[in-house]
Amino acid sequence: MRIPKETKQKIFRDIVVSLFLYALPVILMFLSFYITGKKPWLNQGKKNTVIIMNH
Amino acid sequence: MIKIIESIFQNLSVWGLPVLIIIVGIFEFIFGLYDKKTWTRNEIYLDITCFVIPRIVIQPMIIFFSLKLLPLVLPGLKNEFAWVPFGWAFFIIAVADDLTQYWYHRLHHQVPFLWRFHRTHHSAPYMGMSMASRQNVLYTIFFSQIYLTAALVYLGLGYAALFVTGIKSLITLAAHSSIPWDKPFYKYRILHPIAWVLERLISTPATHQAHHADTHGDGVGNYKGNFGNMFFIWDIIFKTGIITRKYPQSFGIKHYKQEEWYAQFAWPFFKSKKPGSELAANGPMVGDEIPE
Repeated sequence: MRIPKETKQKIFRDIVVSLFLYALPVILMFLSFYITGKKPWLNQGKKNTVIIMNH
Repeated sequence: MIKIIESIFQNLSVWGLPVLIIIVGIFEFIFGLYDKKTWTRNEIYLDITCFVIPRIVIQPMIIFFSLKLLPLVLPGLKNEFAWVPFGWAFFIIAVADDLTQYWYHRLHHQVPFLWRFHRTHHSAPYMGMSMASRQNVLYTIFFSQIYLTAALVYLGLGYAALFVTGIKSLITLAAHSSIPWDKPFYKYRILHPIAWVLERLISTPATHQAHHADTHGDGVGNYKGNFGNMFFIWDIIFKTGIITRKYPQSFGIKHYKQEEWYAQFAWPFFKSKKPGSELAANGPMVGDEIPE
């Protein structure tokens, strides 16, 4: 059984958009650093914790 | 105050969530939201297996392997990005985790080969806490967003991950509940603006129950869409969702054959003996594509 051609094309298009969406928070973060002049990587802090499972 | 919130989410991630599921589940049962005709012994065995086994076996296994594997895959990068401010870390993980799950979920519906790994979640002819964790074992093991979030935790975004995963669990569980908590937002005119934002931003019982409906294209059910888990906004962006503010009359899959609980949990290791089942040896890949 095959994936319909239209579905395949839509999946491909949406994955391309998703790559931008993944990058968006990082882009906005660095844009905010650029605007405010902040450089938080100069005062490195370390925190860690556990993760949980979702559905 | 921050310490209290932090401790709530820490407890939620360890024991709080399973306890919450049990408590809400008991309330659903008391209010008669589980129909004895559909919640059969076979369904109960399956629901309990899917609730218990991943929590005591699979989840610790995944975390253990992630902790062992990540230093090998990303050497020297442990806590390298711990400098990322909390708000941004929260935003990064929320998008990365939930968008990945959106795709994992959507592909299991749109790629015929993957459907049978996700079908167990949809075979439940009811909504509620009892079916919220109901998944095939392989679907659970390969939950892609878990590995991505584990990698982000390793890189130093663990503190924000605690809150994102906690909030996400609460939203997804509430969306699976048979208690329509979103109903007042549609009923009272004054709450309509909040409803408009809410139903586009996060999964609600109305939008997620539509995904679990056994119908499609009737103006309520949309099992070929509404894939969002925490955020519904992905369905808006990719035009895979519908918002109707209505609740389906029936749930599950039309061609459900009440397959054995062990076959639903551990297919393809165990096959169903039901003739014509998607989970039987030589069964169809997608049952609803076969004419009745």
